[in-house]
Order: sequence, then structure tokens, then C-alpha cells
Amino acid sequence: MTEVKERKLSFFAFGRKERRLVTEPINDTNPITVQILGVCSALAVTSLMWPSIVMSIAVLFVVAFSSFFTSLLRNYIPSQVRMIVQLVIIAFLVTVVELFLKAYSFPVWKQLSVFIGLIITNCIPMGRLEAYAMANSPWKSFLDGVGNSLGYGIILIVISFIRELLGKGSLMAGSPLEVKLIGNSSAYLINTSEVSWLNWYSNNNLMSLPVAAMFILAIIIWIQRSSNRKLINIS
Amino acid sequence: MLDFFNTFIKSAFIENMILSYFLGMCSYLAVSKSVKTATGLGLAVIFVQGITIPVNWLISEYLLVETGIFGIDLTFLRFILFIAVIASMVQLVEMVVEKVSPALYNSLGIFLPLITVNCAILGGSLFMISREYNFPNAVAFGLGGGMGWALAIIAIAAIREKIRYSNIPAPLQGLGIAFIITGLMGMAFMSLMGIDPAAFFKY
Amino acid sequence: MRSSKFIIVFISLLTSIVALVLSVLFTGLKDKHDENQVIFSKKSILLAIQEELGDGSVLDMTNQEINELFDKNIEQLVVNSEGHILDKEAVEAKGYLGGLAEDVNLSKEKKKKETDRLLPLYIYKGKKDNPIYIVTLKGSGLWDEVSGNIAIDADLNTVVGASFDHVSETPGMGAEIKDNPNFRLRFKGKKIYDESGNYRSVKLVKGGVFTDPEHEVDGITAATLTGVGVSKMLQNGIKSYEAYFKTLKK
Repeated sequence: MTEVKERKLSFFAFGRKERRLVTEPINDTNPITVQILGVCSALAVTSLMWPSIVMSIAVLFVVAFSSFFTSLLRNYIPSQVRMIVQLVIIAFLVTVVELFLKAYSFPVWKQLSVFIGLIITNCIPMGRLEAYAMANSPWKSFLDGVGNSLGYGIILIVISFIRELLGKGSLMAGSPLEVKLIGNSSAYLINTSEVSWLNWYSNNNLMSLPVAAMFILAIIIWIQRSSNRKLINIS
Repeated sequence: MLDFFNTFIKSAFIENMILSYFLGMCSYLAVSKSVKTATGLGLAVIFVQGITIPVNWLISEYLLVETGIFGIDLTFLRFILFIAVIASMVQLVEMVVEKVSPALYNSLGIFLPLITVNCAILGGSLFMISREYNFPNAVAFGLGGGMGWALAIIAIAAIREKIRYSNIPAPLQGLGIAFIITGLMGMAFMSLMGIDPAAFFKY
Repeated sequence: MRSSKFIIVFISLLTSIVALVLSVLFTGLKDKHDENQVIFSKKSILLAIQEELGDGSVLDMTNQEINELFDKNIEQLVVNSEGHILDKEAVEAKGYLGGLAEDVNLSKEKKKKETDRLLPLYIYKGKKDNPIYIVTLKGSGLWDEVSGNIAIDADLNTVVGASFDHVSETPGMGAEIKDNPNFRLRFKGKKIYDESGNYRSVKLVKGGVFTDPEHEVDGITAATLTGVGVSKMLQNGIKSYEAYFKTLKK
């Protein structure tokens, strides 16, 4: 009883339960490997690391805030038209951010505009709205959104790290932190044409194709479920 | 007529939404555990894809352009309108499925409403614009794209039913092996890229 | 289940709030959007002749520097498909305020019939007696529009530079036409006409297997359809300037 009272008093409480909302989706209920949400974009953008990070941050904003607003409205949304309402909220948030970025930070907008379709058609925002935000309080929904996008982001970064390293020989290409790691010219840190025992090495073009992401994702699932055995047979 | 068949075959087999572009993966992987539910979802996607692409064609051709009904360039609304059309179609399908087959409704669960954000559906509408199809071609593309999607999900559901009792490492069972199978199917489909069905019809 | 009346009120309230906020933002920020867009296309045009300009990367310049560089070095023309130069009034009559090449909206022109299109042309006169012509192209990629600027030498045959852009190609795949700094460099030195003067354009090929190296460029891995779109854009786009180039050759 006392706990209930405390909860009502502190809208932005961050206790044990709230912390679990954020940490659980990183492993136990990971959106990609357990809930099977947001797979398309995990295949599409992960050939390079930098777009994967940008995409993760964009998804974090959209999921967290659309969960928050949907949860605020949850008692008023008529069930017959709820999908349209949810999508209007998602698309509205994305468009507002887009309009501001286009006016005040054009290069960032140029980079992000590519992702906008991918964010709206990403299953995670709408999946979390349907599964969580329609039935829970705004602050909890917000945290749920943050947690799920973190779980999504971690998988994206792991896949893109492997794909970019093996497929292009670089890391974070296109960002200020670009590292050219391995390749056959002097622009790379490890110049394979000069190291005699490495001159067989060349980039694997298969890694640049979405097919590679399927195999890497399968291996990630394999490793994750071997170490976390309660996930076996979930889906 | 030849053009119609050409686009249809191309969109269903050669440029398959799932196996060539890897679009619409979420529901494809989550609902492919049994052929029965997969068929249900496949039919729903054919319906939604087959209706929304021609409707979105009409919208972008007659509403959103400067020469259209309003006389102003409204292309910045394209995204929201396309999504709204798709969402209302999916909502319709959801209500029908809930009435007609509650069992199917329950087994599809959250993935029925998620057809709305299925990349294959919105992707279809955007491809239709960027490829500059005319109306008959848009209809063929909608039907063909939907059928290709249904075909792929039924195929993988059948494979997954077959391998249910195979000796796969426990952590890889289910989702993990489904990813690997899809990857292999995708690599097989890559070899179809670039085939021109029109050349076949000439003989 | 809510009553239909409630649903109608709720939906109309929600959509009107959303529409109101969006339209206020859109109209309020439109001038800034347009300004940014103009700078961006100038940047893209200058990028095509980056190697000729030399001093400093165009991509790192501020808006003001871009404007100065562009106004100092670039002359702009609007031609039509018959090769005639259109004057300012004629362009304004087509609905483009300002009447300069930079005011022409290529997306709109792309939807018109080929014979009705206005073709903006930019001329770099940095080197005396050796003008470089920059043609602007628009085509379709996998998801949406792709565009490009091709800089052609005074012989109206050799490509000296190129730059590409897109609206929403997949990052790491189709988007590499813009993001990969090496891609645009591959166009340098390619020829538009073959030895007997027939129009050949430049096209992208997969895997770097060339049968005709003067007219072929290594494409982007894993982006077949964007590559097809770019090849098609190069094929049709450069061709539409042919009439004007013929008048120059005379």
C-alpha cells in the first residue's frame, strides 16, 4: 500500500522496477533477437557502423517520445482506429524533428532524411506502442522505449562492426572518427601489400550484402541463447 | 497486357520483396512457425499490398502533384498519406479477421497490426513511385509483390515445419535457423536478379 | 468500444492539431529550407569541379564561402532541348522566380515531356579559353530520386569530374554514390562519345570487369538497382544537352 502511494507521488520515480524496464530489453527481451522487431533496418543499415549509430539514436528519440505521448492519450484512443492514431503520432514526431533539422542543421538533415522511412516502417516504435504504451503509464512507457532502443542499438552496432571490418576494412567510415584499418593501400593502418604474410587478404564483398547480416544475426542469437538458456524455444 | 504479366512475374519472383530485398522481415520470421498461420498472414499481405499500391498510385498522380486536383505541390505529404492509407486497410483486415477467424487472429497476435509498418508494404508504394509505373503496372506490381511475399512466408513455414524435429543445436533452434535458411534462400534468389521475363514471352 | 461520434471528434481533433502545427512549422521554416537547398546544390555543383578548383575541400566551406566561390567562378545558363539559350524572362514565364539556372526545379522538369524540359547548365571559366560545362541530371534510384552533376571539358567529350546525391538510398549500399568519396573520382577521364562520334555516355558496371573502359565505371557493391538508376540517368540526362553542345561545336 505504501509503495503504491510513493509511486503516485513521484511521477518520475527511478527505482528497481524502472531500472529493469531499461535493462531487460538489452538481453532478456531484446527487440531484435527475442521479440523479432526491427529486423528490416537491422539488415539494411548495418553495412557501415556510422549509419547504424545514427539510426539507433534516431530510433531512441522516436520510440521514447512516441511511447510517452501515446501513453498520455491511451485512455482516449478509440480501439477501432488506434493504428492510425499511433502512426499519426510517430509520423508527426518524425516530421517535426525533420523540419527543424532541415532549417537549422542541413547536413544532419541530409543524412537523416534517408532514415525517416526506415524509422516509420521500423516495427519497434509501433510494436512497443501496441505491446506496452497502450497499457502503461507515460513515464514507464518512456523508459520501456529507451530500453528497447538500447537493446536494438547494441545489436546494430555489433553487426555493423563485423560487416564493416570484414567487408570494407574500415571502421566508422563517413564519421569524424573514421579508422581505415586493413586494406591494400598506404591509406590503411595495416597495409596488406606490405605485410608479406597478409597479402592474401582482401575485403569480403559478401559482407556488404544484407545476406551477411542474416548469418551474423543467427550467430548472435546462437551465442546469446547459449549463455542465456531461458531464451531457448521462445520463438 | 505483356507489360502487365512482365511486371507481375518480376515482382513476384525475380524481385521478391523478402528474398531479394529483405523487406518485411519481422512478421515473416515471427509468424512462419506453421503453414496455416503463414498462409493467413500471406493472404492479408496480398490484400493490403494489392489495394494500397493502386490507391497510392492514384493519390500521388491526382492529389499530390501540381497538375492535380488541388493545383499545388503536396509531395511533402506523400509519406503520411501513404501510411494513412495502409493503416486504414490494415485496420479493416484486422476487424475482418477478428470476426471471421478468431483462432487465426489470436495466433497472429501483434503481427497483424504490424503489417502497417511492414517495410514491404510501404516499400512497395515507394518503389512504385521511383520506378514510374503506369496504372496497370502498379496493379500488377501490387498483386505480384504481395504474392511473392506470401510465397516466401509459406515456403519458409513449410521448411520450418519439416525441420522441427531435426537435430539442430538447441540455442540455434527456431529463430536462429530461420535466419540462416532465409539467408541461403536469399543467396539463391540473387542469381535470378536481372532476368527479364519479357524476353521469355517473346518466344 | 467507443461511439462513432467520439471517434470522429477524436480523429478530427488530432489531425487538425497535427496539421496545424506542421503547416505552421512548414511555412515558418520554408525560407530557411529553400536557402539551405540552394546552398547545397551550389556545393554539389562545385564538388563536381573540386579537382579544378584546388584550394580547400568544398565540403568544408561555410555558406558564405560557397556563395562567393560560386558567384565568382560559375556562369549559369538555361537551355532547352533544341539547344537554344533561354533568357531570364522566358524562364520566369515557366514559373521559376528569379529566372536563373539555379532557380529551375529539376524534380518538376523531370516529370515533363523530354522536349519541354528546361535544362540548367553551369559553366566554369576559371581557366581562360577552356570552359568546363557542368550538366545537372536527375533520375530514379531504388527508393527515390538520385541526382548528379557531371563536369565536361571544353572538348565536350571528356568528363573532368562528377558529384552525386540521393534522397533516400540505403546507407552503406546505394547511398555510397554520395558517401563514398572515391566513387565520384572514378568518372574522371571517361568519354561521352566514342571515336567515331557516336553518343555512348558513361555507365556503371558490376565487379570492375570492363569491356569498354572509356565509357564504363566501377559500380557500387550490393546496390544493383541504384546503379541501374544512375546509369539510366547518365544515359538520358547528358543526351538532352546534346542539341546545345552541337551549337557550340559549330
